[in-house]
Amino acid sequence: MAVTKDDVEAALTSSLNPSHLQVIDTSRGCGASFELEIVSEKFEGKRLLERHRLVNAALAEQMPHIHALSIKKALPPSQSPARS
Amino acid sequence: MATRMFSNLVLRGIAQSRVSRSSMVGQGLTYSTRISGDSDTHEDFQPTNKLKDSGISIQDVVQQDVKENPVMIYMKGIPDAPRCGFSALAVKVLQQYGIPISARNILENPALKEGVKAFSNWPTFPQVFIKGEFVGGSDIVLNMHQNGQLKELLSDIKNASAKP
Repeated sequence: MAVTKDDVEAALTSSLNPSHLQVIDTSRGCGASFELEIVSEKFEGKRLLERHRLVNAALAEQMPHIHALSIKKALPPSQSPARS
Repeated sequence: MATRMFSNLVLRGIAQSRVSRSSMVGQGLTYSTRISGDSDTHEDFQPTNKLKDSGISIQDVVQQDVKENPVMIYMKGIPDAPRCGFSALAVKVLQQYGIPISARNILENPALKEGVKAFSNWPTFPQVFIKGEFVGGSDIVLNMHQNGQLKELLSDIKNASAKP
């Protein structure tokens, strides 16, 4: 089963209600591979590890079929002015 | 449980940073005692095994790994020859700090792979543990490297690196 960018976006949107979400398919056609940036209120007050855990949990269903996932940013709105 | 079956997992498989011994891991970990999956064997007659009796499972081995090795990485491949870009990245970042890194190659052992995932409740590799605590995967390690947290976290290890 191939996981698509749309699947990843849908899963993250429904669990984390992000105010910013960017999913980039980096698979180049071999194995599902994504990079993502996400801003969500659910990350407020959470450490980086916990924020990544929330992303992993949101993608629990897709993870077994994703070869590589790189979480570039997972920030709460308060830390996410478009810097860097 | 598959994890129980690997009660003989021993620590000798750990690869220290520049010692490429980890190819031993896979072989060393395979079923070295009789494991009874035999439902009609009364437990009194099942083979005893010290590790099993002491309740050692993959989980315990991981726990011991991370306790005894200040910087422990479970990765694809070995530090000298990573088999995945993310594992390579994590190793490269950690190597910036001149500290001893202990590693296990999860590609050589599916049960270890599953055991580590269950231990940390984290779905992907590499997985980095520092001073017994799960730190995260390569994204987190890189992030902590960039914001200085990693340096801080590793500072006392660096000082203690003369210790064998």
